[in-house]
This record gives sequence, structure tokens and C-alpha cells, in this order.
Amino acid sequence: MTRVLRLVLTLLLPMPLGAQTPGTTKLAGRVPAEAIPAIDSLIAAAVAESLPTEPLVQKALEGSAKGIPPDRLVNGVRRGLLQLREARVLVDRALPGQPQPEGHVAAVAAALARGLPPSIAERMLMMAPGEPPAPALHAAADLVAHRFNADSAADLLVEAHAQGLRGDRLLDVATAADQELQRGGGRTPTDALAHVRAMLPNVPAPKVAVTPRGKTGS
Amino acid sequence: MEIRDVAPLAGVTQQVNDSLTDVEVVARVLGGDGEAFGILIRRYEPGLLRFAARMLGNADAAADAVAESLVRAYRHLGQCRDPGHLRSWLYRITGNRCRSHLARKHMSDLPLSEVPAPALADEADSWTMLERSEQVALVARALAALPPEKREAFVLKHVEGLSYEEMAQVTGARIPTLKMRVHRAREALVAALGALV
Amino acid sequence: MTDRLDDAIELLKTPPAVSVEARVMAEIRQMAVPVTARPVRVTRILPWLGLALAAGVAAIFLISTRNAQGPLGESEGMAQFVGQFPGARSVEVVGSFNNWSRGLLHLRDDDHDGIWHAAAVLPAGQHEYMFVIDGERWVTDPLAGRFVDDGFGSGRENSVLIVRPAVQP
Repeated sequence: MTRVLRLVLTLLLPMPLGAQTPGTTKLAGRVPAEAIPAIDSLIAAAVAESLPTEPLVQKALEGSAKGIPPDRLVNGVRRGLLQLREARVLVDRALPGQPQPEGHVAAVAAALARGLPPSIAERMLMMAPGEPPAPALHAAADLVAHRFNADSAADLLVEAHAQGLRGDRLLDVATAADQELQRGGGRTPTDALAHVRAMLPNVPAPKVAVTPRGKTGS
Repeated sequence: MEIRDVAPLAGVTQQVNDSLTDVEVVARVLGGDGEAFGILIRRYEPGLLRFAARMLGNADAAADAVAESLVRAYRHLGQCRDPGHLRSWLYRITGNRCRSHLARKHMSDLPLSEVPAPALADEADSWTMLERSEQVALVARALAALPPEKREAFVLKHVEGLSYEEMAQVTGARIPTLKMRVHRAREALVAALGALV
Repeated sequence: MTDRLDDAIELLKTPPAVSVEARVMAEIRQMAVPVTARPVRVTRILPWLGLALAAGVAAIFLISTRNAQGPLGESEGMAQFVGQFPGARSVEVVGSFNNWSRGLLHLRDDDHDGIWHAAAVLPAGQHEYMFVIDGERWVTDPLAGRFVDDGFGSGRENSVLIVRPAVQP
């Protein structure tokens, strides 16, 4: 035995370790017992990798509520973890060297799940690095879901942002583009985007309610 | 009726806290006693700070990484379903924080100490003639020169005293891989320490 | 040379001179109670929604109104849920805003015209949900406008709702 192996490890932690589990999470009593070890492991991985865990907890609760069989439930949660990892890589690439709020990773993962191309997600992150990214990401995802060209959609949102539209107003840009397309009359997606671009920054705000007392909401 | 706070006897409180297992402390915290988390901080921060400092080569960065890791652990304590392995869970979170930090910076560029490597005439006596602070600086520099995964394996094994099973939980690597990393790290450190002085 | 390594390891065990306890405990004490399953406040139903539905207008939209029951916080908004389910005995909304719990947000069809309504105050941000018809049939809200595969391999889609805060910064 070499002298290295005789080292006295004086700072070993002396506490005896138990083996019980507290079981005080949202999942207790709601997720099938056979799925818990695998889901716990996935959530522990997210914790250790500094990824948000709430999306995974929500996915487990969702699957349980829907009666999804345990193996598919676990796969759903695992898929969520992979999406979060992919989102983290994307955020790292778009915002190198900057602290990553958990909300950024979760928002990117949600947008990717909706079918937003990663390259477009990166553009939205880089467009407004100091702002919560969710509105821009969802606005872009809305446009892509409505079959607008992804790069053209991103160009419109970048232009809108440059003209001072922020946060949820970017969602209004996407809504306006969709409404222009719905008008029909041979209007193409390109036409619709051009029409909205010409409106900037004065895209319509969302409809407000007329209450029974006749007052409009703010 | 006057109500006054009566400070508990400090020695008694400390003895009681030291005898609580991780499982018992975690149960208290999850039961609403957030202050009990301080017991876990005092219990584990020396090792975590030492580990992070050896990984990052910078005491301030290490303090930031460990503080962030402990806050994260508190926030997700309910998801640590096996407090019997709380130590490896905490090291895992801290190790990930350090790896993220290293991935964003170039470790080899981080200055470890202001103390330059001393030049001495007699190699046989050179090591023992150094001041302790100079020895620490030399060792830290040699450690920093290791690739991160070997550095981490060496520190976890020989400085923090984790078992290979615990190291596998912390790093996600297989035990044979970890043993090889520790072995290679020892070889590299022996060579580096011989060359530095 | 291994003697030097032994010495080196002992040196590396030097405990740090700093502590992060005060800093960590200060941050922990400042943590707000996390928002989990906030109670969903069901408010009055606006009768004109039925007309909007008949006109084919997407009926899931967001109302920033100060006429809600009780003031809305800066991070809350109101959401209206409408669905046409003639013949249904019950319709509820189950989603991320109620931790996918059943029995918390029921729609009503008081005039029995098959159009079910509910309104709720929800935290601002993104939510996923489905309707549950008669306690057993999970249905994607067709008027949601935003959808996402639920990721369980069955081809089911959740509806996506983005709640905008009632009080704009």
C-alpha cells in the first residue's frame, strides 16, 4: 500500500446517515408508486444540473391526472428533462457568460416544445438579452404555428422590438399578423407580415371586455 | 403579561443540533423550520467551500458557487428524497455549479496565488524549506493544471474523503472511470510537484 | 515524491477561512412562499361571450379589468374559458395552474344551451390545460389558439394559455 493510501482523512464528515425519505413533495400521493423512483431521479438530475424542476413536476402531475401508464409517464418527464437541457445549451450559446435565470431556460423549453426552431429561439434571446424572453418566444412560436416563414417572422419581431414594442406587445404583433392572414382575399403570409410591419409600432392591443355596466376594462 | 425572548443556552443548543441526523434536520426544514437549514450549512460548508476552491482556484468564486448551491438545495430540499445521501447530493449540486463556471471561463488562466514559484539551490531540501503559504500556492497551481474531471476526482477522493460510490453519485461517472482519474491525477501531481520546485 | 504528495494533500485540506452561512440564510429568509396551487377564484360569467362564440371569435382571451371581484395583483390576470359541449353533464378545466388537479375549476352552463363558461384569476405567464368532459373525456380546447403535444406519446395536445398581468408595469 503506497504512502498516499495511508492518508489520514481528518475532515471526513462524521455524521451517521439515515435512510428515510421525507415525502413532502407535490408528487406524494399523486404519482403512481412504481414511477416515483425514476421520476425522482430525473428531478434530482435537474436539480444537480441547475435546471428548473417545476416543468418536470408539472409533467408528472399531468401524466398522473390523465391516467398515463407509469412507463410512458416517466418517458414524458424524461422528454421534459431533455428539452430543458437543450434549452440550456441554447441559452448558453445566445447569452454566453451571463447568469441564466431559471425562467429563461423554462421559457425556451416551452417554446421549443411548441415547435419553434432553435435558431429562432436564439434570435429572440439575443434580441432582448436583459428582458424576460417568454413573450418574444411565444410570439415567434405563434407565427411559426400559423405557417409564417420562421426567419421572416423573427425579422418582424426584431423590427417591432427595435421600434419600442416590449413584452406582451410582441404577442400582439403575432396576433395582428395572423388576423391579417385570416382576412383572406388572396393575402399571402408575406403580405400579412408586410402589412403588420407597416403598422409598427401601432399594432392593435388585445380586445377588452365590455362589462354589463358598460365600462371598458383597462 | 410580559413576553420576553429567552436566549437558549448556546452550548446545549449546539450539542442538540450536532446530534441530529441529516434526515432529522431535513424533516425539520420541510416541516417549516427554515432556520434549521443553518445546521446543514455549518455541517457541510467547510467541505463544499474547500472542494469549490480547489476546483475553481479562486476563493471568491468558490464562495459564490457554494452559496448559490446551498440556496438551490434549500429551494429543492423537498425533492431530495434520500436525505441519507444528502452529502453526495450537495456535492453533486456544487460540482455542477463549478463545472458550469469552468465551462464559461478558462481555468488555466485563473491566477491562484501571488506567490511565485521559489527557486532553491538544493532540491532535496527545497520543499521543506518553503513557507507553508508557498507550499499551498505550489500545490494549488499543480492542482489547477489538471484537467477538471481529474482534479474533481482527486479532490473528492483524497481531500473530501468521499467513497467511490458517493463519487459516482456526485459525478455521474462509473467507479472504474473514477479510479482511473484518481490514479492519473496522482501521477500528474507527483510529476508536477517534482518539477515545480 | 509520494511523501511530497502526502504533504500536498494535507495542505489541500486546509479549511477555508470564509463562511457563506449568513449570506445563504439571509437569502433564504427573504424567499417568498412559492406559488404552487394558488386558489383559483371563479368570478361572474359575462353573457356576451356566447355571442362571441357564435361569431367564431376565439373566446379565450385576456381581460385586464378593474371590475373583477377584488383587486388583481401585478402578477395576475383574468382568463375566460368557453366551450361548446351540448349534452355534457360536467365540464372542468384541469391544467398547470391547478397542478393538474381535478375538481377545482368547473365551467357552468346555467341556461343549458350547451355553451359552458368560467372565468378565473390566474398567475401571469404560460399555462397548459385541457377540458375534462363528464369526468372522463380529456379534450383539447379548440378555441385556445395555441397548442403543444403533451409529450406522453398518445398524440394528445394541451391547450396553451398566456395570461397577461392585469396591471401593466
